[in-house]
Amino acid sequence: MHEISLVRSVFNTLEAEFTKEELQNLHAIDLKIGLLSNVEPALMQNAFEAVTSAEEKFQKVKLNINLIPIEIYCQTCDKHTIVENYKFACGTCGQPNNNVVKGTELLIHQVHFDN
Amino acid sequence: MNQVEKSTKTARGTVTCDNSTMHLLKANDFVAAAIRKKAAAENFLLLNITSSAGSGKTTLLQETARRLGDKINMKILVGDLETERDADRLRSVGADALQIVTGGICHLEAQMVWQAMEGLNLEGLDLLIVENVGNLVCPASFDLGEDYRVTLIATTEGDDKPKKYPRMFLTSELLLVSKVDLIDYLPFSIDAVVADARDINPNIGVIEISSIKDIGIDEWCNWLLDRVAEKKAAKKEAATG
Repeated sequence: MHEISLVRSVFNTLEAEFTKEELQNLHAIDLKIGLLSNVEPALMQNAFEAVTSAEEKFQKVKLNINLIPIEIYCQTCDKHTIVENYKFACGTCGQPNNNVVKGTELLIHQVHFDN
Repeated sequence: MNQVEKSTKTARGTVTCDNSTMHLLKANDFVAAAIRKKAAAENFLLLNITSSAGSGKTTLLQETARRLGDKINMKILVGDLETERDADRLRSVGADALQIVTGGICHLEAQMVWQAMEGLNLEGLDLLIVENVGNLVCPASFDLGEDYRVTLIATTEGDDKPKKYPRMFLTSELLLVSKVDLIDYLPFSIDAVVADARDINPNIGVIEISSIKDIGIDEWCNWLLDRVAEKKAAKKEAATG
């Protein structure tokens, strides 16, 4: 969707959470991105490179993207199903179900510092 | 508004982040929650209307304003990248409309709605409709604090749209199939579009409409009036109970 502004949002979030000194030791950021988030991983990597080089910060930091599949939960069966081809139905009973429990993530999951 | 408290964790090695503080759309969701609270306090229904560009959102809202203008107190916020054209069209039929010019941004964010709401008199308001930027992708990810999201698909688009843009249909309460007066001239199947949408969202409501030929508009207006009445009743119940 608007990967540049999401990259800026990653930086703003980290800058609010950690001190300048701490961020000097940052070497990797792990994002969790759900398949329903409308974010394209390749564009996110491009945007990350563009913003880090334009703003001359976080240049030695690596961006890792974990894609999260869409998962629904059926209360009747007490079962989780991974949604494929956007067919939102319980894999056990086959009933239509859009109780999405995973797949909308747009999160900073972990950050890795030196030492 | 979006003040984040400094972490007490030591930034060494690997730090696993708290999902509530590290959500990238957190600023938007924070403002959306504030809008929802305001709409509850002022007791009006907030709708977010989305679709591709050119599916007939503004024409539908012109017709809606004509019919409901003297029945309920409604106002419209309308988002576009540039120009005041949609707000002008809505005002031409007597609607109380305010344009949000996003200046190139492809969706409305909660902050824009919040700012626009500050320019509106909310007293006695029954219904605030936000007409989003024409786009089925980005608006899907931005909560505007709405009670319901309503999405239009015109018969002049493809009937395969829901699975191409799943998040929008997953989060919509109602699907309006618009321009149904043209159905005889187009390779568009209403059954196919409804089946596709219900694969994603089995509970999505469907109304077939044509704003210029007056098809389904009464049903749509009644749907709106019912939702407004429901919200008012819930508030009354909360106040007395």
